[in-house]
Amino acid sequence: MNAPAKPREKTRFDTIGKPRRRVDGRAKAIGQTRFADDLVLPRMLHAKLLRSPHPHAIVESIDVSRAQAQRGVHLVLTGAEFPVPYGIMPVSQDEHPLARERVRYVGDPVAAVIAVDEQMATEALQLIDVKYRKLPTVASPEEGLAKPEPRIHDYGERGNIHRNQSYEFGDVEEALARSDHVFEDLFFYEGNTHLPMEQQASLASVEGDGKLLLQSSTQNPHYLHRQLARVLQVPAAHVRVIATPNGGGFGGKCDPGNHEFVVAKAALMLGRPVKICLTREEVFYQHRGRHPVLMKVRTGVSNDGRLTAMHLQTLLDGGAYGSHGPASTFYTGVLTPVTYELPRFKFEACRVFTNKPACGPKRGHGTPQPRFGQEVQLDKIAERLKLDPAEMRLRMVTQPDSLTASWLHVGSTGLAECIRKVVEMSGWKERRGKLGAGRGLGLACSTYMCGAGVSIYWNKMPHSAVQILLDRSGQVTVYCGATEIGQGSDDVLAGLVAESLGIDPGWVRCVTGDTGITPIDLGSYSSRVTIMMGNAALQAAGRLRDTLAAAAAEALDTLPDRVIFSQDRVFAAQDAGKTMSFIEAIALAEAKFGTLAAVGSYAPPKPPGRYKGAGVGPSPAYSFSACVVETEVDEHTGWVTVPKIWIAHDIGRALNPVLARGQVIGGVYMGLGEALMEEQAFRRLPPKLSSALVHRNPSMLDYKSLTSLDMPEVEVALIEYPDPNCPYGAKEVGQGPLLPVMPALANAIHDAVGVRIDEIPITPDKVLRALEKKEKGEAPRVGPESFPSVPYPAPTFVLPPWEGGDGNELKGQEGRKAA
Amino acid sequence: MKAPSFAYAKPRALEEALALLSRAEAKALAGGQSLIPSLNMRLSAPELLVDITGLEALKGIRLEQDVVRIGALATHAEIERSEAVAKHVPLLAEAVQHVAHPAIRNRGTIGGSLALADPAAEYPACALALDATLVVAGTEGRRQVKATEFFKGLFETALRPGELIVAVEFPAQLKDQRTAFAELARRHGDYAIVGLAAFAANGTKRFAFFGAADRAVLARHAAQAKDLEAAKQALAKDLQPPADLYHSPATKLHLARVLLERTWNRLSTPR
Repeated sequence: MNAPAKPREKTRFDTIGKPRRRVDGRAKAIGQTRFADDLVLPRMLHAKLLRSPHPHAIVESIDVSRAQAQRGVHLVLTGAEFPVPYGIMPVSQDEHPLARERVRYVGDPVAAVIAVDEQMATEALQLIDVKYRKLPTVASPEEGLAKPEPRIHDYGERGNIHRNQSYEFGDVEEALARSDHVFEDLFFYEGNTHLPMEQQASLASVEGDGKLLLQSSTQNPHYLHRQLARVLQVPAAHVRVIATPNGGGFGGKCDPGNHEFVVAKAALMLGRPVKICLTREEVFYQHRGRHPVLMKVRTGVSNDGRLTAMHLQTLLDGGAYGSHGPASTFYTGVLTPVTYELPRFKFEACRVFTNKPACGPKRGHGTPQPRFGQEVQLDKIAERLKLDPAEMRLRMVTQPDSLTASWLHVGSTGLAECIRKVVEMSGWKERRGKLGAGRGLGLACSTYMCGAGVSIYWNKMPHSAVQILLDRSGQVTVYCGATEIGQGSDDVLAGLVAESLGIDPGWVRCVTGDTGITPIDLGSYSSRVTIMMGNAALQAAGRLRDTLAAAAAEALDTLPDRVIFSQDRVFAAQDAGKTMSFIEAIALAEAKFGTLAAVGSYAPPKPPGRYKGAGVGPSPAYSFSACVVETEVDEHTGWVTVPKIWIAHDIGRALNPVLARGQVIGGVYMGLGEALMEEQAFRRLPPKLSSALVHRNPSMLDYKSLTSLDMPEVEVALIEYPDPNCPYGAKEVGQGPLLPVMPALANAIHDAVGVRIDEIPITPDKVLRALEKKEKGEAPRVGPESFPSVPYPAPTFVLPPWEGGDGNELKGQEGRKAA
Repeated sequence: MKAPSFAYAKPRALEEALALLSRAEAKALAGGQSLIPSLNMRLSAPELLVDITGLEALKGIRLEQDVVRIGALATHAEIERSEAVAKHVPLLAEAVQHVAHPAIRNRGTIGGSLALADPAAEYPACALALDATLVVAGTEGRRQVKATEFFKGLFETALRPGELIVAVEFPAQLKDQRTAFAELARRHGDYAIVGLAAFAANGTKRFAFFGAADRAVLARHAAQAKDLEAAKQALAKDLQPPADLYHSPATKLHLARVLLERTWNRLSTPR
């Protein structure tokens, strides 16, 4: 039963690789798709949350009596109703749906009103009396390190340090000491938020059988399902979560949200449907976006431009809660060695709690920050060593089927081809440095994972599963827990099953993201869906194909393994004249074997690293990208404009090139916005207004991100080296193409006007300051000036594969000396 | 969020509108491009919205002898397409290109923009540079207010409670007069970080900056300077820009000088 079905290698594809309209395109284009906010149920009530105006305070008392007595109010909830905490990761269960004794950021929910309409609920919020006792606040990680008391949480490493870790793969100081050059740079990457078009919305109801149904704009229905059962203390089998099509997620809908528990609880208590829609301002405070990260990068380089070792230190501003923080902390380092050969690597990271909205996963999760630092530093290295930045990178890309110093397995890689392609498309060799005053080209590369090697909670079960049902009408119904967040997962699912069964994707109906009906999928995060859901789908489809072939072979006068599925028909391989329709094949098989259904599932391979912490970073495959940005810098105003971007992305295989290009351009769009202007920044109100730490720009008017009018032309090349671990070779494309844009822009600005902006976003203010420094003969750079003293722990020391290691930690000084 | 509850009236005659607007807690609704967001964000909560878009007396753009009279209800899009504006108030024609996006231009009105007096908006500066006159009406009658007397502070104007802008009159540009408009915004259609509406005739110059103070302001020292360098220096006496979310006062002053330089030469170039 568990033996994987052998997919017969297809040499010619009917569907895969052909540009197609996505299967959900029609409904979305004509407005038929029902997002969470479109859902309406009879007798539905509406919920609103009362949020803390203080960044850090003890909740001394809450009086809800006046609100409760208000006309139209059905229920008022407080933290008293929610004794059980939650958190997306087992190691950070540090949130309550409504704060119980403490609030930790401006916006932390403390109470909820459920009323007949939004207006009444909003008005009743003002009748709730909360007494707060204000506590000292922590505004930055530096402040958090300096001020261990009061602690924002009573767990974590110590003081206000949430996570603190250190890994060393080979003796890095020794390697740096014998390097021809050591480059040391500081970088800062400001936080930013996801800005999905759809604000979070949820509708909870009690189904006819008395069980809870939550329809919600979530990326992770499975994790939400588990947390709902825990927090509401109901059996998991009595909970059903439907992930409605998300109007964009980008990581912002990965964490379970306070509002989801609140409406679920209220629906169970009232027996009526309860809905909530967050306002745009609330979405800014809900956040869970990009961590602000300060970085120190020390890199050893030989005279010919090869890396000898790197010591990377990161300091993350975590915000008020754990969220995905333990993973985010790892991701500010673990993927760094995947792009270039790096003999030794040391990585220290520290995440500090602050009294601001929690940071979490945003497209690229933790990796854009160190990638920015590394790729800008490489540009500086190339400049100093007088090497072409593209040539230098080409000479040291990681090789296929190799290990990194940290024991990550790099399978397929098209990075070299990506670099060659963008060099060619952009006219890099002819144009770089010759564009004239104020104009420049910059290049950078990156990698991303195709799904995390381990699940968020530890288990040995599959990460994704697919069930396929064949109907005698020819309809193919595919069930999977995967969640359509706009990235096109339904189209990927339909395309893969259609290809495998040799039918048009129009025959396939996808039922997805419904934990009451569909088999498991862990969620739409980590760029895992195409590969994990895809492999599960191909396994299930392969099993059905075997069944159909067994039934059809006799009629086609051939052997089952000589049956071919193509063009909605079934053929004998040796004689295309012997054929029947797909529906006829179903009828034969159904008559012979009974109802036709099959399941498939997928779990990633076991990673080679065996040290504690080796579970973060491994992936069945890595995608690679290279990007060239052209820029024009106005030296009078500091304005940076980008007329064109070229990007090549190693996608393994593009299942639907239209969709794949859309993802690449979308990633470039988001990356360019981060690079130029996006800032999730905070300010302190003046003392007479409570000194609270508030969001500087919690609206789409003030939070600047690019509009379509500001978008440059993007030329996309899809590089296709099919990866054996991936369905028909297809790797991820949802996150990777964002990553090289920021450093490529910074490098282009240097080419244009000779200044270094070691900080994201690159605003006109910073460019002007750097130009001013240049004019005065000072170092033409704007960026962080110092890195605080962080009490990183002693490192987990692991020998790289080429120094005789076995992937385990070498314990104690002796082990290290022996090395 | 959604707006708080309010009553709504759509009068057909100016007198009726003025009577309604004389009530406390009443607010005029024209294009709604600033008012509706502020209601939805609950920054304001008027009890009565008086929709003035049915008032014919406030509509139309026409040349009347030596002025172009623009009705308060003229939308940005109408100004953009107006031949009279293009021919006789080229500064305004240039400025309107910088006002937001087509969807907003289709609804937003010049009267609404002037009455709101956003310090980073284009029209107040144009009105100052061109020495325009605002025609306002209240239950007490009509009066004319010079643009230089109209803008009093941050979102503050010389409008008395219950008064409406009926029209704004821009002097039609003469042959020997020159104008130039420049604006810096981070994105297409954004409010200006800093902007400049400039006018020159017979040795007289007027530089009206916006996004550089609590209201649109005339840079009087710079206007009297002999040459560009002196004007750029003098600008520090005219402007002490407040920081915004993204730019320091020093950056804004620097950018204002860049704009001054960019418009300076255009003012002396023959048309």
